[in-house]
Amino acid sequence: MARRVNLLGGAVFVAVLLVWELLVRTGILSFSYLPPPSDVAGGLGQLIGNGELGSALGHTLGAALAGWAIAGVLGVAAGSVLGLVRPVWTYSMASLEALRALPIVAFVPVAVLLYGFSVQTEIMVGCYAALWPILLNTISGMRTEARMVESGAVLRLSRAAVLWKIRLPAATPSIVVGLRLGLSISLVLTLVAEMVGNPAGLGFLLVEKGQALQPGQMFAAVFVVGVSGIVLNGLVLGAARLAFRGQLAASGEVA
Amino acid sequence: MSPTILCDDLTVTLPGESGPVEVLAGVRLAVAKAEFVSVLGTSGSGKTTLLRALGGLLPVTSGTVHCDSTLVTGPPEGVVTVFQDYAHSLLPWRSVARNVALGIESRLDRSERDERVDEALTMVGLSDRAGEYPWRLSGGMQQRVQIARALAMRPRVLLMDEPFGALDAMTKASLQDQLQQVQELTGTTIVFVTHDVEEAVYLSDRVVVLSGSPASIGLSLDVALPRPRHQITTKERADYLELRHEVYEALGHRVPIAERSHG
Repeated sequence: MARRVNLLGGAVFVAVLLVWELLVRTGILSFSYLPPPSDVAGGLGQLIGNGELGSALGHTLGAALAGWAIAGVLGVAAGSVLGLVRPVWTYSMASLEALRALPIVAFVPVAVLLYGFSVQTEIMVGCYAALWPILLNTISGMRTEARMVESGAVLRLSRAAVLWKIRLPAATPSIVVGLRLGLSISLVLTLVAEMVGNPAGLGFLLVEKGQALQPGQMFAAVFVVGVSGIVLNGLVLGAARLAFRGQLAASGEVA
Repeated sequence: MSPTILCDDLTVTLPGESGPVEVLAGVRLAVAKAEFVSVLGTSGSGKTTLLRALGGLLPVTSGTVHCDSTLVTGPPEGVVTVFQDYAHSLLPWRSVARNVALGIESRLDRSERDERVDEALTMVGLSDRAGEYPWRLSGGMQQRVQIARALAMRPRVLLMDEPFGALDAMTKASLQDQLQQVQELTGTTIVFVTHDVEEAVYLSDRVVVLSGSPASIGLSLDVALPRPRHQITTKERADYLELRHEVYEALGHRVPIAERSHG
């Protein structure tokens, strides 16, 4: 897989930063607290230097990943049962549809009430948010092509072998999609929980710097949030490609 | 000697949009060891239903199917069905070799498994594609992978459901000849469902035609053409053309009166 550096894309990005810098410096864009990119870079340097960023980032990623991991185990297990056992699906579908329709953000104050201003609140919210995409993608992934299952029967595979060798691998691309979506939403909701609930991590850092009228540092925190989302998604995809090369190649995920 | 497949008074009723539909009624069919029998019939006549019942993939409503004197209730040992839609039958995440190994990998040790996979792939002429993913191959090659997967099981019986139906004429002809060679080599009993009259006559020892609704066997015709058969010379023989004529008529085609030269 030859990877080419996207020079044009990078050039556009740098150009946008330059224009932003110029517009702010020349006063054409005149918000009271809009920092130019150079101030944001300075803010980032300060946050790294005083150690605030490291501990906040560690806290947030830890909570988001913990919630996501719990959701991964629960979602794949429950999704497999729901996808494979027809009666369970029939009885649970109505409840699932109703719960799914509720905006996840509405659960943040509920979690704060239940778990207080603690890291548990963040993990619970992240877990709940990540559970949905993982669960639903696992369910749909488990609806294996009938002919594929029949091929297993014709070759006299046991039921366990059909599950292990045909159904689960066939569901893998869907499950990986669910896990990726779940991780990004877990990160988002963990940040929300930090803004309105537990005063810690990147979410709180962002709010705190805003209220302290430190726009450079605040924008730096926003930037770090964005980059960590991209990095996490890349890590999950990379790990999945290593572990399930064939499945993802077949679904066109690997070029 | 008792037949390899014996299907007695078979009736199959399937659920339909407006109540149950009787697809097959009173089908009697005996297939001898190493015989090549083609099942023909118009579209929707129940060819596939019959094959699925023989393969234990469909519960019969009444009557019985026996394979080597054992009652068929599920896919029997030594009987492998090859489906028309190779793309959905192969596992896209497994390489060609690992697809072929699917049915034998938990029963044989590594060296024996590799040997069988190699043997099966050689029989279908794909040993140089063992490491490839099936979806990177052409349709004809993918179908050969499915056939190799069946052959790796060393089956006594191959049930083939329009296996070449989705392939172009050139590929079809070469796969027909390959199948002939494989059968000659292995002595496998083959039941072959097709809607292609030429293909049925060319390949078979016997052609049966399903007719009526619900369907039963309307015509059973022995094909005594000499083997090995050849795409050009066999199809030029007078007895080939006569057989082909007879099967077409059994399927409901009529020769226009003006063109009849005899009988």
